[in-house]
Amino acid sequence: MKLFNLLVSILCIIPNAFCTVADSNKFERYRSLSRSAPIELTDSSYEEITSKPRDYHVAVLLTAADARYGCILCREFQPEWELIARSWNKGSKPDGLQMLFATLDFSDGKGTFQKLMLQTAPVLLVFPPTVGPFAKVDDTPLRFDFSGPISADQLYTWIKRHLPEGPKPPLVRPINYMRLVSVVTILMGAVTLFTVLSPYVLPIVRNRNMWAAFSLIAILLFTSGHMFNHIRKVPYVAGDGRGGISYFAGGFSNQFGMETQIVAAIYAVLSFATIALAMKVPRIADNKAQQVAVIIWGSVLLGMYSFLLNVFKTKNGGYPFFLPPF
Amino acid sequence: MAESPLDVLLKGNSGRTTRGLLRIIILATIAAAAVSSRLFSVIRFESIIHEFDPWFNFRATKYLVQHGFESFWDWFDDRTWHPLGRVTGGTLYPGLMVTSGVIYHILRFLTIPVDIRNICVLLAPGFSGLTALAMYFLTCEMATSPSAGLLAAAFMGIVPGYISRSVAGSYDNEAIAIFLLVFTFFLWIKAVKNGSIMWGALAALFYGYMVSAWGGYVFITNLIPLHVFVLLCMGRYSSRIYISYTTWYALGTLASMQIPFVGFLPIRNSDHMSALGVFGLIQLVAFADFVRGFIPGKHFQRLLTTMIIVVFGVAFVGLVVLTVSGVIAPWSGRFYSLWDTGYAKIHIPIIASVSEHQPTAWPAFFFDLNFLIWLFPAGVYMCFRDLKDEHVFVIIYSVLASYFAGVMVRLMLTLTPIVCVAAALALSTILDTYVFATNGPNPRAKVNEDTSSEGLRSARKPDVGITSYLSKAVMTSSVVVYLLLFVAHCTWVTSNAYSSPSVVLASRMPDGSQHIIDDYREAYYWLRQNTAHNAKIMSWWDYGYQIGGMADRPTLVDNNTWNNTHIATVGKAMSSREEVSYPILRQHDVDYVLVVFGGLLGYSGDDINKFLWMVRIAEGIWPDEVKERDFFTARGEYRVDDEATPTMRNSLMYKMSYHNFNALFQPGQAVDRVRGSRLPAESPQLSTLEEAFTSENWIIRIYKVKDLDNLGRDHNTAVAFDKGNKRKRATKRKGPRVLRTE
Repeated sequence: MKLFNLLVSILCIIPNAFCTVADSNKFERYRSLSRSAPIELTDSSYEEITSKPRDYHVAVLLTAADARYGCILCREFQPEWELIARSWNKGSKPDGLQMLFATLDFSDGKGTFQKLMLQTAPVLLVFPPTVGPFAKVDDTPLRFDFSGPISADQLYTWIKRHLPEGPKPPLVRPINYMRLVSVVTILMGAVTLFTVLSPYVLPIVRNRNMWAAFSLIAILLFTSGHMFNHIRKVPYVAGDGRGGISYFAGGFSNQFGMETQIVAAIYAVLSFATIALAMKVPRIADNKAQQVAVIIWGSVLLGMYSFLLNVFKTKNGGYPFFLPPF
Repeated sequence: MAESPLDVLLKGNSGRTTRGLLRIIILATIAAAAVSSRLFSVIRFESIIHEFDPWFNFRATKYLVQHGFESFWDWFDDRTWHPLGRVTGGTLYPGLMVTSGVIYHILRFLTIPVDIRNICVLLAPGFSGLTALAMYFLTCEMATSPSAGLLAAAFMGIVPGYISRSVAGSYDNEAIAIFLLVFTFFLWIKAVKNGSIMWGALAALFYGYMVSAWGGYVFITNLIPLHVFVLLCMGRYSSRIYISYTTWYALGTLASMQIPFVGFLPIRNSDHMSALGVFGLIQLVAFADFVRGFIPGKHFQRLLTTMIIVVFGVAFVGLVVLTVSGVIAPWSGRFYSLWDTGYAKIHIPIIASVSEHQPTAWPAFFFDLNFLIWLFPAGVYMCFRDLKDEHVFVIIYSVLASYFAGVMVRLMLTLTPIVCVAAALALSTILDTYVFATNGPNPRAKVNEDTSSEGLRSARKPDVGITSYLSKAVMTSSVVVYLLLFVAHCTWVTSNAYSSPSVVLASRMPDGSQHIIDDYREAYYWLRQNTAHNAKIMSWWDYGYQIGGMADRPTLVDNNTWNNTHIATVGKAMSSREEVSYPILRQHDVDYVLVVFGGLLGYSGDDINKFLWMVRIAEGIWPDEVKERDFFTARGEYRVDDEATPTMRNSLMYKMSYHNFNALFQPGQAVDRVRGSRLPAESPQLSTLEEAFTSENWIIRIYKVKDLDNLGRDHNTAVAFDKGNKRKRATKRKGPRVLRTE
């Protein structure tokens, strides 16, 4: 009986002992899983890595990088996150400051997402250590919500702010040698091509019509609000709520991508009609043809301008002016 | 053909004088129209300075007139940016103030007693007349037809894109800067055409004046070198260009360095490097041109190639070394945000917060330029017909300014002049073609008939003119209709959009009569009359200049925004709890806090709507203490009603805005008309501040910062005591009640 008791107690101790041993090695074990990139977690390993006691910081990015979840922000941020982890793991750290970088993807960790009641991804959680020199009394994880696209530098500053004082490894963006080489190659290729083809290319470069076309296209793009689309990232078109498409955004300082293209086309037609009337029509030798051309271009001008005013009136409700056809 | 009396007037020598006289009369009329269309606000309201920045300019002008130029130059202003102060004399563009000061003294000398305020109010309209004149000169340099200049002047006089910055009362740098911009460009074109040192020096002189007046001078600093550079690339180097550019650059740089605010920037700042680079380049080109006269072709070719490679290599390495070592300053933030539009949003919230730095949607272009916007590309196309040096200038200016105007709303102002030039070129071609009464080609339009293959495709065939009267009638009448529509549009826009002083608001009563809302001045005059002369007023920076100008009280931050940390301090005080804010207020000697609240009237430009920017700017400095996220509900909404977050409801700004607001309504019926939401039934409690003044329509609310409590209690307990509440400690004890048995 005594022997049995002893055996039982030994049996009881072994797993305990095993556990405590594993605990102190938890950091090393996870560290060895991935030397530079963030550690890939699952539900169970997430539980373990964040379980108390822990003598290290751990930053877990809860994300949904798989294409079927359609989280663009997650996919865009993934390489930045790997950059942070790599910079940290490769850089020199102050003594005793241990930190793990890990990723939990939604496809591997549905249970964790449910438990944390996460509605959105990505979310970053930073768990402070509960034992060791940097232990914090309040061991609730710090949470960083992504409100939009963010660069590695911004997030890294945030993480560093919540770590203890002391020097931290800097964020190192690897030099993209491939890109450097390709740029140089393309540049040299372009120069060579230009030298070889210069007898053929130069007439084009010196062609006035081409430069005129370039300038006009640039001007039309800019004056029809293209830069606004570029900066504000407006949608191309939007539904009108009744199954149709609304081409024009409501409101004076709002626009859709397609809307600006329509406006640019209107401006182009109007300008072209003006150019035709001013320069082409007086050069038509035949009287009849000239008469017809003037009437056609004149009515195009009138119709388009009237349409433009009409469009503007829809954007700006109180606008009092209009021209007959529209 | 019988000679009619009209022919006598219009032909020969007397014809020229008649036309000259007509031109002067037309220009005078245009100037009069330009001035009078800017007077809407004076007629509707009164002769008052508008908006925000003008109030500072006005205050500085008064200082200049009172204390003289010397002390203006050395002015240290201790009534702003308390407790830091501002070296005002060295951190402003003095051109505007000096101009009005000079006008004031001239009028005094002529014994015309006029208030300095009226000069300031009417300076912008006055200069718009001059701008129209400068526009006439500039366009006449571009076109063979004399009607183009007059059309351009008329366009410039009334186009809303320019009126937006130059109505009576908008006493801002742009008021004189656009005249200087146009006139400098005119002088520059004149210099390039004639290759004369005189015109080049005049251009430099006016460039110097421009530098003293507006930070936008950088546009000229980069546009003129670009023009020269493109001309060099086109193989159009000539001694004319060399003379005009070197004269302009040398004298202009020296002139610009006389302004203390600019100082040594022209040789250190990257914004100015292109001018320096082109200056070096043109020396090399001139040297190469000089050497070519002495060396046979083949040697010269080799020499040229080596020289180009060596020079570019050295220049590139030098630039990199100087930039890295910090001798050359990096691009200034405001300018940099033009190129990389995402930059400002991330790094400089204060730039992103200013609505003037927002991109331009297309309706704004049409609103500001009307039918000029589609005549503009046509005019640029016509510049390609002759493509002389000055036309190259128009094309570069057009493309560049279109880009800038698209990126930043306020740069519409720099686009407007060139739109007027190009549109006038296009319209005058049409008018010259169609209005000419006799049949056959217009004799005046036929000056540059270029049928060579290099010209534009549309201009290759010979011009035969318009033959039928019907065509002429159709086109003339439609152009007249468009022009009338343009005038109507400009008048409507000016009267409706650009003539509000924004210090005084106008609204319509139900019966259609006008009702003036004068809360701002009411509040500022209250401050002026009821507070100590040295009482420090804290408000968000938008109102700093107005408080300085109208209430004459020291402020913590103002529209100069030179010290981001100080602004963030104010932002932190506004967005934190009272316990956090009160020490900040005490440390900065704040006596009164002023907030703008539009909830009663539905005035949307109030502080609660700007509040997120305060939070963001404060978060930039104290990311641990102020967090933007805390001001949004769990669903990411920015709310002020019952569901507002605790951080929001405890913030000083929220409390000050809604303090006692529900007393105006039936219990539980308080509604914020801007946010359109029902407010909590209980008014927020303020313990460290007390309400001092609220204006008629509640737009401005002023709070007095309480002194420390006499009995050494903290404010919370003091307030609780005054209200007769029991001490908190009694209610705090929670736990099972224990029967005391002793």
